[in-house]
Amino acid sequence: MTLTLELRDVRKTYGDVAAVRGVTMEVPAATIFGLLGPNGAGKTTTIRMIMDIIAPDSGEVLVFGHPRTREDLRRIGYLPEERGLYRKMTVVDQLVYLGELRGMKRRESLPRIAEWLERVELSAWGKKKIEELSKGMQQKVQLVGTVLHEPDLLILDEPFAGLDPINQSLFRDLLLDYRRRGKTVVLSTHGMLLAEKLCDHICLISAGAVVLAGELRAIRRRLGGNAYRLRAKGDLDRLAEVPGIERVAAEDGLVKLLLAPDADGGRVLRELVEFLDVEEFRSEEPDLEEIFIKAVSGAAV
Amino acid sequence: MRPSDAYVVGKREYLVRIKGWGFWFATFGLPLFMAALMAVPALLMTRGHSAQRLALVDTTGELAGPLRERLASAEREGAQVVAFDLRVLPPEPDAAAQRARLDRMVLADEIDAWIWLDEEDLGRGRFEYHSESVSSWLTQEVLQGVVSEVVGAWRLRRAGFDTAQIADLTRGVDLETVKVSEGGSRAEGGFGGVVLAIFLFTILYAVLILYGTQVMQGVLEEKTSRIVEVVTSAVRPLELMLGKLVGICCVGLTQLAIWIAAATLLTAPGVLALRTMLPEGLNVPSFTPGLVLHFLALFLIGFFLFATFYAMVGAATNNMQEAQQLASFAIVFLVAPMFFFMQVINDPDGRLAVVTSMIPFFMPLVMMLRIAVKTPPMWQLAVAYTLAIATTCGMIWLCARVYRVGILMYGKRPTLAELWRWVRYA
Repeated sequence: MTLTLELRDVRKTYGDVAAVRGVTMEVPAATIFGLLGPNGAGKTTTIRMIMDIIAPDSGEVLVFGHPRTREDLRRIGYLPEERGLYRKMTVVDQLVYLGELRGMKRRESLPRIAEWLERVELSAWGKKKIEELSKGMQQKVQLVGTVLHEPDLLILDEPFAGLDPINQSLFRDLLLDYRRRGKTVVLSTHGMLLAEKLCDHICLISAGAVVLAGELRAIRRRLGGNAYRLRAKGDLDRLAEVPGIERVAAEDGLVKLLLAPDADGGRVLRELVEFLDVEEFRSEEPDLEEIFIKAVSGAAV
Repeated sequence: MRPSDAYVVGKREYLVRIKGWGFWFATFGLPLFMAALMAVPALLMTRGHSAQRLALVDTTGELAGPLRERLASAEREGAQVVAFDLRVLPPEPDAAAQRARLDRMVLADEIDAWIWLDEEDLGRGRFEYHSESVSSWLTQEVLQGVVSEVVGAWRLRRAGFDTAQIADLTRGVDLETVKVSEGGSRAEGGFGGVVLAIFLFTILYAVLILYGTQVMQGVLEEKTSRIVEVVTSAVRPLELMLGKLVGICCVGLTQLAIWIAAATLLTAPGVLALRTMLPEGLNVPSFTPGLVLHFLALFLIGFFLFATFYAMVGAATNNMQEAQQLASFAIVFLVAPMFFFMQVINDPDGRLAVVTSMIPFFMPLVMMLRIAVKTPPMWQLAVAYTLAIATTCGMIWLCARVYRVGILMYGKRPTLAELWRWVRYA
């Protein structure tokens, strides 16, 4: 597995506050990687250290397989959480400037800018000043500015915060398109629903430390505990007597069964069909929201 | 440090400003404004040639004639700033009644003022002047001069001198100022030199504040619009800061270049338009290349000295109000020379001038004055420039450290202790 980005025990302390306390994470190539955590967990600080905006007290940042250099930063597209534009500049000038900051010449960037503005339906606004644009349009310009130089790694800090639904789907399509083209996306968010839909890998941090990391599917399987969902007719009261079943919770026509860690789902099912008319019996994966809350509130994982 | 990145930043700062209307407004507006400031009062004075209607009662009977002659000749020469329309009234037996009537004439606006010359008063060395406005110092001074002259001649005549002798004895002398400089003495209107000094001083003061404030606004704009984080992910804060300072400095230099070119053109020999506008006897001061070089050098030093301070203020604060409060510290250093610039011009090698020009934050403005009126000794120039340049380098270093931390800090304004901690961050 090739890693696009790797952090090794990165730490940052402000005064007496340890913002990041030894974060280690591995971002595989061609994936969408979610850096998750509640507000104040250290996500933005971590990202700023990846982008070399602030220097870590200790630890290492590797990108594209080697310690990060300044040249590497030009292959990264970065959209910070707090984002803005020069209000008095025109859309095109602004984008040309953002391109120049990453080493693109004006004549290289102009055709790409035209193409992108077309794609986000802002072609008619190229000569307008940023301050004349609506907030949604400014968000599109910010997005174009982030991807204009065709970065191999996209780092987006809370990209969906404050987006209208149209821009949300625009951003989402773009991320999926990026992954399809073999590029890597790191996005930080506390919105679990979106992360669940988009991310292949996650790293959950809380209070500056990693509490959970890995491939999302594997994590779910691991953390699902041994939970099953049952839809059946018959004497449901006898469920508690079945060996291997630890807890039974009925909720509107469905029954949630929590099995003992060593119990086997198949064997339990065979027991159940003895006295129940089973319509549905399936292993239940916890949603990310649950994992998140469980992990952050200190439950062992 | 990658110079090409600083260049990209600087280019943006430069172009954005040059393309804006504000730059051209200041480039053409400021000189016009300054010219208006100087020319309008002068114009009003000459236009206000509406002569003072002055009534004269001469009880001696010997002064009215010479006084009228003296005023007429002065007007012919065009030397008098104030003109008088003299009405000689014969003295009446009842002096008190006549004086009361004259006062009424002033109030009725038939005359502007009246004077009373009689032997007794003149013997005591004074005469009376009655007017609604007693604060017209210029009128009074001219009048006093003319009357003194006439009365002096009258006294001499009574002492037995004849008219020709008197004219010869009382002829005045004129002061001709010659500026002595290393490159040989050049005749130059003393007043012209003063005008030049004040002119350069004012321009330097204006551009230092103008561009310092622009740096502060620029830093604040990037900080408040949050674009700074995208920018610093691509360029180092030091490159961003230097690019910004140099870019805005170049805007200032462009403006000065336009002004210097215009001034050189206008003061070139043969440009009659300007010559005819100037009062007689005022030489047009010349822009020597040395003077221009000093001016540019002092602008560069002053710019980096104050712009770095302004950049720090912008980086450490969150909005314009906060920034302006802190920026007033810089204004103090820029405004202070306004209070002693006359002394410096009058005595460019005096202790005040020498000491203040050695203090780096005063140096650009004070040195500009000194150089414009008289080239200071070489060692003083060397010491002042060295101290100022060293301080400027220190300010750039300090600014870089505060800036680097400040641009990413939002929230409350840092205390001095916190600022110090920023400086010490590795």
